[in-house]
Amino acid sequence: MTSGPIRVLIADDQQMVRQGFTVLLNTQPDIEVIGQAVDGLDAVARVAELTPDVVLMDIRMPELGGIEATRRITGAMPDIRVLVLTTFDLDEYVYEALRAGASGFLLKDASADQLAEAVRVVAAGDALLAPGITRRLIAEFSRLDDRPRAPLKERVGGLTERETEVLALIAQGLSNAEIAQRLFVAEQTVKTHVGRILVKLGLRDRTQAAVFAYESGLVRPSGY
Amino acid sequence: MLGGNLVRRWLGALREDLWTARPDPLPPSTWLRWLPHGIVCLAAFGVFIGGLPQLHENGGLGFGFALLISAGQCGAMVLALWRPVPAWWLSMAAMLVGAVAVRAVMVVDGYSFTWPWTAAGIIGHLFVLLLLALRARTRVSAEALSLTVLTTYVVQGLVGAQEYQPTGVVAVVLFAVVVLLGMALRGRREARAELAQQTSLTAEERARRTLLEERSRIARELHDVVAHHMSVISIQAQVAPHLVENPPDELKENLAGIRQNALEALTELRRVLGVLRSEHPDAPEAPGTADTTGTAPHAPQPTLDRLDALVENTRAAGLTVTTEVSGTPRPLPPGVELSAYRIVQEALSNVLRHAPGASARVHLTYLPIGLRVDVFNTRPVRTPPPSQGAGHGLLGMRERVAMLDGHLTAHPLPDGGFQVGAFLPSDGPAHSAHDPAHHAHEDDTP
Repeated sequence: MTSGPIRVLIADDQQMVRQGFTVLLNTQPDIEVIGQAVDGLDAVARVAELTPDVVLMDIRMPELGGIEATRRITGAMPDIRVLVLTTFDLDEYVYEALRAGASGFLLKDASADQLAEAVRVVAAGDALLAPGITRRLIAEFSRLDDRPRAPLKERVGGLTERETEVLALIAQGLSNAEIAQRLFVAEQTVKTHVGRILVKLGLRDRTQAAVFAYESGLVRPSGY
Repeated sequence: MLGGNLVRRWLGALREDLWTARPDPLPPSTWLRWLPHGIVCLAAFGVFIGGLPQLHENGGLGFGFALLISAGQCGAMVLALWRPVPAWWLSMAAMLVGAVAVRAVMVVDGYSFTWPWTAAGIIGHLFVLLLLALRARTRVSAEALSLTVLTTYVVQGLVGAQEYQPTGVVAVVLFAVVVLLGMALRGRREARAELAQQTSLTAEERARRTLLEERSRIARELHDVVAHHMSVISIQAQVAPHLVENPPDELKENLAGIRQNALEALTELRRVLGVLRSEHPDAPEAPGTADTTGTAPHAPQPTLDRLDALVENTRAAGLTVTTEVSGTPRPLPPGVELSAYRIVQEALSNVLRHAPGASARVHLTYLPIGLRVDVFNTRPVRTPPPSQGAGHGLLGMRERVAMLDGHLTAHPLPDGGFQVGAFLPSDGPAHSAHDPAHHAHEDDTP
């Protein structure tokens, strides 16, 4: 999809973490770390300046937390993907970050391979990162979330029957290839459907589509 | 001029001293507790003085016999202070003996004696019944009253006498009123005692729960800090082999071991934190003062680096705060820094809450063996609103300090202000484990 390496910016308030991730990601030929930011405000500024493909964003930072920084970045530049880093916990903050526009999340103690893979998946945008865990996280916290929402029914109604079916499968964490297999269609067809769904619903990626599917009640958190 | 000043000052002092409605309650005295006993004894003496001539002169009894009966009535009253039931028997016996004796010497057209109850007898028996009803169970009081009424009826109604002023009905009515009064007072007192007991139980319960909540919050924060460090270790162990050219296999293996251990520790920590969180799902990450002191839930656990921001936020909330640092600042263990930050945070929020209009001073002293934190505040300008909190503030500080084996003092200052002082040893509790003589909560820092 992208020509040249994936350009990454790392935002974390701890220098050890920034340096560590920089070293680990720079060992990958297709990934290049182009900058670092020390807090949320810094991250917003550096993203505007460097326009990376992917931002690795710590949730807990001084000055401006990672969630708010994510909201500002994805609000201003929809092409930039945010991968949220969490110290050790998958909690409501991670869900909050997904709602704020993050494309995925990663534990900081992930291995170098997982880290690189996560950056690639998020940059490509055609699959959900860690589908099982993401689905569970969204399912669990969308249920607890009782904030008032936009009238979602009509928006789901804007989708065709096929598109609604595809959205439900995205929410279950399936990749395009898996959806194609499930629906007996070509992967290219699925890609077209996904693109239409995102445009129609005004969503930026599959993660947002999954959050949407759960929050609109299209998919019920079952077996959890 | 000078004289006018003097007079004005004198008048001012006079006004201050005498033109006031300050409450000044009598200090509780142990003597006061004996006041009811004194009153009863005085009344008993009156009953004796009044009863004796009535029985002797009007009743026509011999002096010795009259003395005996009067002594019985008077003694029953005093006895009722300690043993109400025997006192009741004694009073009944005195009345019965007196009534029968007087009846025997009674003559037609003679002196019209108050019978069967003499005035002194009624007063004495009223006291006895009241003291009984105040203490004994309701059934006992009812029984005593019934027997009294029955005896009166038998003596006056069934047996009767020749020439007398009947006192039975009056006596019975008065007795019934007094017994009902005593029962009601006793019921109220018991209900209140029960309520007081329940209140103290709930207060105790609440204090214990507050303590536990505070502990688990501290535990949560510290586990959080530890987990954070662990995850950095796991990253560093992974990064290290990339920092050298051709790392030897032993090094790689060793680092992989470090990473593996860090990951396992993290797994355990997640489990512990899960338990701590599920115990108090509503507990906020930061203390309840987060809005005024700048610890957003998405911020990392604070250290002393963030102290300036904290002070700045407290100033924004309207408190005058000055800070001083003595000694050479140096990084301290995260647990110490976190605790010091939280202590300052709690102390400042206490000043905001309990000392409106006061100004505060934060003093950090870096000592070779640890850190001393002092927060002073001046006398409040206005009287603070009554405290609503469950006492998390000082309790939390105490817990944090005890955990680090330091000590905490919190006391009012002579000028009306308040001081919170904490010493936090930099090497933690392990130090004193080797040296049992040195222990927490000792007097002062060196």
